[in-house]
Amino acid sequence: MTHTLHRKGIEEDLKRDYVILAMLAAGVNDKYDDSRAKMIKIGEILKEHNPINIMSELGWKTSATITATYGDIETVKRIIQILKEEDFGISIVISGLISEIEKTLKGVDLEINTVHFSLGTFGRRKSELLPSEKLLEITTMCGHHTVSSQSITHYVDLIKRGKTTVEKAANKLTRPCVCGIINTSRIIEILTTLVKE
Amino acid sequence: MDIKIDTCNGCGQCAIVCPVQAIQMIDNKAVVDEESCVECSVCYRDANCPVNAIKIKRLEWPREVRVPFSNVIATHKVSGVAGRGTEEMKTNDVTNRYGFGEVGISIELGRPGVGSKLKNIELFTTRFSRIGVMYEEKSPVTSLIIDNDGHINEDVKDERVLSAIIEFKVPTKKLSHILEIIREVEKEIDTVFSVGIVSRIKENNTQEIINRISQLGFEVRPNAKINIGLGRP
Repeated sequence: MTHTLHRKGIEEDLKRDYVILAMLAAGVNDKYDDSRAKMIKIGEILKEHNPINIMSELGWKTSATITATYGDIETVKRIIQILKEEDFGISIVISGLISEIEKTLKGVDLEINTVHFSLGTFGRRKSELLPSEKLLEITTMCGHHTVSSQSITHYVDLIKRGKTTVEKAANKLTRPCVCGIINTSRIIEILTTLVKE
Repeated sequence: MDIKIDTCNGCGQCAIVCPVQAIQMIDNKAVVDEESCVECSVCYRDANCPVNAIKIKRLEWPREVRVPFSNVIATHKVSGVAGRGTEEMKTNDVTNRYGFGEVGISIELGRPGVGSKLKNIELFTTRFSRIGVMYEEKSPVTSLIIDNDGHINEDVKDERVLSAIIEFKVPTKKLSHILEIIREVEKEIDTVFSVGIVSRIKENNTQEIINRISQLGFEVRPNAKINIGLGRP
């Protein structure tokens, strides 16, 4: 699943947007007696580091993946260091700025195994079919596209009219994503910009 | 999806949350455009309908095919994975699905958030059949391809989904052909699509593949997914 791949935003903003994913390989390392216990332990480690968002604990017990979102590379580095030391043998994928992740891995003496690069979005009707870049920066945070662009404009309107706050709206927009990969802090920044327009 | 007109109180929350704008308010009632609806169930899960007017319909073939491609919590019977994708590179340190000397390609039709009819798959797969690609066996899209010419099951061509990912790999030397096809199809397709390239990396050298892609006229985004090699069988 490419769900954390095509997140939009400028580099400066993406410095505050990282997703850590742990995944069991079906039929390979999901079959051991301690596979699930290890996934739950990974979930606990991710949670201990105050993620902006994280998959529900029910998901840790049932899903082949666990995901959590962070706003700074230093926290990601600390988590990677712990996961390396724990040596669970479970695949870990970091989504975010290539340059920052590369530096981080060198700092903890790890090597990149594989990268999934994004080449962006294509289509001759792109400009007529897609909403604005700012709206896309929010909607593309959920790779399953559970956040509609009109819900964002709806909340921007409510905020302008004093019917809700940026923080409450950001939490509402985060809720549809079951994977825990929406960066609520980034949504707050973007909504703040949209409200001022 | 089904919205009971008699029950609907016209609050409009379902129309607001629908990712593909398939719900319109007409005479203060929510009406689903069946053609546009991709059966993602976001309205059912996230609209908080105050009168429980939204129902998940029991679907028949071929319409039922929309569900695994659109509903994030639906598991496809082929992949066994929820959310219409596969493990792809996420477990590559364990599976070695992608090796050195080859690249993986992901073409996600309809992303971000526009949706696509499944017939658009053929715009790519009929062209790919001429150069030879290795499709990911566990991909839900691969299960729709019915012959070596890249045609898909006729039954599903007009079904609209939130997105469908064409996943395959080729030797790195064929990357230029793949990217040419992407440029060709881009001029023809009636929706949008997002492209990803998977590459095994040696000695932390991402620049080699990035340069190769750039020389072929494509820009690599600054953010990516990186498998950090901690997994093992």
